[in-house]
Amino acid sequence: MTGDALYHQTLVGLARAARGAGRLPDAGGSAARDNPLCGDQVAVDVRLANGRIAAFAQRTRGCVLCEAAASLLGGAAPGRTRAEVEGARAGLSEMLREGAPAPGGPFAELEVFAPVREVRSRHECVLLPFDALLDALSRAEE
Amino acid sequence: MKREILDRLRRAIAEKRAVVLATDLAAGTARLVDPYRPDPDLDPALARAAREAAERDASTQHETSAGKVFLRVYNPPVSVVIVGAVHIAQALAPMVRLAGFDPLVVDPRRGFATADRFAGIPLLVEWPDEALARIGLGRRTAVVTMTHDPKIDDPALAAALRSEAFYLGPLGSKKTQAARRERLRSMGFGDAQLDRIHGPVGLPIGAVSPGEIAVSILSEIVASLRSPAEVRAGA
Repeated sequence: MTGDALYHQTLVGLARAARGAGRLPDAGGSAARDNPLCGDQVAVDVRLANGRIAAFAQRTRGCVLCEAAASLLGGAAPGRTRAEVEGARAGLSEMLREGAPAPGGPFAELEVFAPVREVRSRHECVLLPFDALLDALSRAEE
Repeated sequence: MKREILDRLRRAIAEKRAVVLATDLAAGTARLVDPYRPDPDLDPALARAAREAAERDASTQHETSAGKVFLRVYNPPVSVVIVGAVHIAQALAPMVRLAGFDPLVVDPRRGFATADRFAGIPLLVEWPDEALARIGLGRRTAVVTMTHDPKIDDPALAAALRSEAFYLGPLGSKKTQAARRERLRSMGFGDAQLDRIHGPVGLPIGAVSPGEIAVSILSEIVASLRSPAEVRAGA
């Protein structure tokens, strides 16, 4: 099996796991984003406690990349602060655009998206769940 | 016509259900027949004739032992669901309307599904399986998929395969067709069901441009509607 096939299998597994799938009845903030060229749709609910994400839920309809990124957040987002999510999004963007190493810490799993570097048109698919989460956090902070 | 029958007829038309109005020409009495539902009170020969008339989309006179019955067919309009707001769709949708059918374009990608690209054509910016589940696919519906993106085309084809849609046409090369067949098979569809899919899509007229491809697809839709036996024999 080639490296790319391994990556692909990991991505499919991550997407199927759909961590955090569902909605939060007591959400502090909710937001939805879509990708106009790919059709991906992400809706995120969050609840904050003491400046940290206490609960996270996502509903995603889209390509494997988008669903995998949302599922990754389902595992990584709880317990994080807004600054940590912003840092991870910046690190992910640098990894995709400039080939920087994957962000470490709780978001180390983002390494799985490294092969997407070469497919510029798909970067947005990976970033979309992060943007939806940041929007939801802004609403929760209002 | 009795008021009660007229009301039921109008309701059927509004709900886009096929009905046949059977009028006894000697007595002048009329009754409404659902051509696709067995009715134990109905003479089996008349029921069969009503169903055939609805399928042929042609009103006809039927001879019974008691005299002549006129079978007037009220079929719902033919609708053509185009999945993928792409170039060929821009050509096909107005052609569908000129042919007298109802076009509907479905695409979850906002960047493609814009009103200025499809002036006056009904447009749903939604995932096709969700949109199709809501609007319902009947036996007077044709479904054409055009996005070339399995995550959008496959759910639409699956919805069409589970319905009585009279035409399923996915755009795509021979190679993508084979891969698609395998994907749909893994979703639980058997060969008999998958054989309902027309591939390569359209009549073989050597179409090249988006407009020509639209003509070829629309021709095959008309052929499937009006002479399904010939289309199957030629496939």
